[in-house]
Amino acid sequence: MSRGAAPLLAVDEPLVRWDWVRDHTDDFVDLFWEHVSLTVAAVGIGFAISMVLALVAVRWRWTYEPLAGFCGVLYAIPSLALFGVLITIPAFGLGFRSALVALVSYTLLILLRNIVAGLDGVAPEVREAADGMGHEPWRRVLRVDLPLATPAIVAGLRIATVTTVGLVTVTALIGEGGFGDLINDGLSRDFPTPIVVGAVLSVALAVAFDVLFVVVERLLTPWARAGGPRRGDRGAADALADARARTAHDQKWIAVGRASAGAGTGVLQ
Amino acid sequence: MIDQPAAADDIAIRLEDLTKSFPGGSRPAVDSLDLAVPRGELVALVGPSGCGKTTTLKMINRLIEPTGGTVWLEGTDIRTLPVHELRRGIGYVIQQAGLFPHRKVGDNIATVPQLLGWSKDRVAERVAELAELVDLDTSLLDRYPSGLSGGQQQRVGVARALAADPPVLLMDEPYSAVDPIVRARLQDELLALQRRLHKTIVLVTHDIDEAIKLADRIAILNLGAELEQVGPPEELLRAPANEFVADFLGDDRGIKRLSLMRVGQTRLSRGPVVAPTATAGEARAVMAAEGTDWVAVVDGEHLLGWVAAESLDGDGAPVSDASPRPFRAVVRADTSLKAALDVIVTSQTRVAVVVDGPTGGDGAVADVAGTPGYLGVLTVDDLAEGVTQ
Repeated sequence: MSRGAAPLLAVDEPLVRWDWVRDHTDDFVDLFWEHVSLTVAAVGIGFAISMVLALVAVRWRWTYEPLAGFCGVLYAIPSLALFGVLITIPAFGLGFRSALVALVSYTLLILLRNIVAGLDGVAPEVREAADGMGHEPWRRVLRVDLPLATPAIVAGLRIATVTTVGLVTVTALIGEGGFGDLINDGLSRDFPTPIVVGAVLSVALAVAFDVLFVVVERLLTPWARAGGPRRGDRGAADALADARARTAHDQKWIAVGRASAGAGTGVLQ
Repeated sequence: MIDQPAAADDIAIRLEDLTKSFPGGSRPAVDSLDLAVPRGELVALVGPSGCGKTTTLKMINRLIEPTGGTVWLEGTDIRTLPVHELRRGIGYVIQQAGLFPHRKVGDNIATVPQLLGWSKDRVAERVAELAELVDLDTSLLDRYPSGLSGGQQQRVGVARALAADPPVLLMDEPYSAVDPIVRARLQDELLALQRRLHKTIVLVTHDIDEAIKLADRIAILNLGAELEQVGPPEELLRAPANEFVADFLGDDRGIKRLSLMRVGQTRLSRGPVVAPTATAGEARAVMAAEGTDWVAVVDGEHLLGWVAAESLDGDGAPVSDASPRPFRAVVRADTSLKAALDVIVTSQTRVAVVVDGPTGGDGAVADVAGTPGYLGVLTVDDLAEGVTQ
């Protein structure tokens, strides 16, 4: 190496070694299912919890700020630190459960905010009409508020899912990482091919989920296409930008972790 | 209080000492209101914005809970009923219709029957019935509300409120969000509906003209829902109880009364009339006596038309030789005096000819084909006398 500080990766290595890719295709399928199941489980559980929290927050308004604040704190914890804490708790340990708890905790803020925003966005005259017609409160929520909040809720699910797909790559550090395993493997061996493959597959998966949600939303909200404004809908581009920022942030932490505490990283692997 | 109906068993809704104080309000939004709504009547609550009229309305279906007093619905204290049952038994129409944007028009109309657990067939049958009742094309039932015009949405709102055939309807500024032409048509439709259905309706509006047009009784409310006067529109216009009511009714109370009164309620003049067999000389004599330069030709009871003085030939010829022409300034007995006044001031002859015939709504009849029955003529003097009598 003639130029400056030592680069993280060997420069004479090609970006992608296609023979390696061919040899490991079977692994990709396993990693794909691991990635998908972690993502689906995390977003699913996160959605269920957020829905309950959102209904509580809408019913008892004063709870919203504390709940959102708590979820905000969870969201702000660096993922690496959270994994580090979680694996020391016997009930979670190294593996799926720790990964899941961390991933779920990162979906809560986005989902809570979007569900509450969606429910708040229901036009007051529509809500009043529903009450005036004689809907019980639970029936109004089920038949009027939630259907009308669907665009905002799906927007939240899109951001949460894309974010989670990115974050799953980081959970490779505790042994459950889907395509993250490839990235981790490449980083530990100064071998760029798996890093590139892992990143590309992860992004492709995020895009696939996003497209799926667009389709689901169209099916769920035929009325939104009939005209009239849609509320609280964020574009896929925004969601992807969010996810990319988050993934970059976490990958940086991995790199820092490797550089400054090689032994620690070794334990994690 | 003036003109509270006496017989208690004719009362569908009675507000007794009804009070609502909102936390932090310096005075109650509704302060000890007593009001009786007779069964089958449309009572309009009218007053300046913030007077508590909407609050009063919402206390009837408990969207707002009173802090004092009682609402009696058919003799029952509404607090003794489960709130959802109460509301399902009261039709509710609000501003901008408040339709559910995610449900098709048919499902919107079916809301209360579905809540009541009607069978699918019965609901579908009822929806079709209501679409016809409010004059809504059945092809619209499969659309979402956003695909409807404002007027159509408001019709759907009324159909939805009527779906389970509730005896009572509450209407909160129902027509304030539609343009004046559509509003006038929707108001006419409501009047026609009410003639058939005889619901007990409480209507909140800030538009005194709407109240005068629609209501059997108007309750004029001041701040704190203080009842200034209640009574039939005609009575309020004729004898406003105080300056507040007079101000609220406006400085054209006489003209507004014209819109409530019908041509048939006034004494008509016979007018310059001759039989078709009368001679030109006789016709000239009638014109001279009446001070006109035209004469109406009436065969028995049938109006044949009019003949101008200059088109008459020699004294001996019958007037029918001059081919009577149809009148343009024609009204019917059920035409409002306001519309009749318009006909009079825009006609060259300064009179409106009154004929019998099928009811033609409020508007004057521009032209009459055939030979309608002749009732007389209406002059400005006749009209003024009708108002002041």
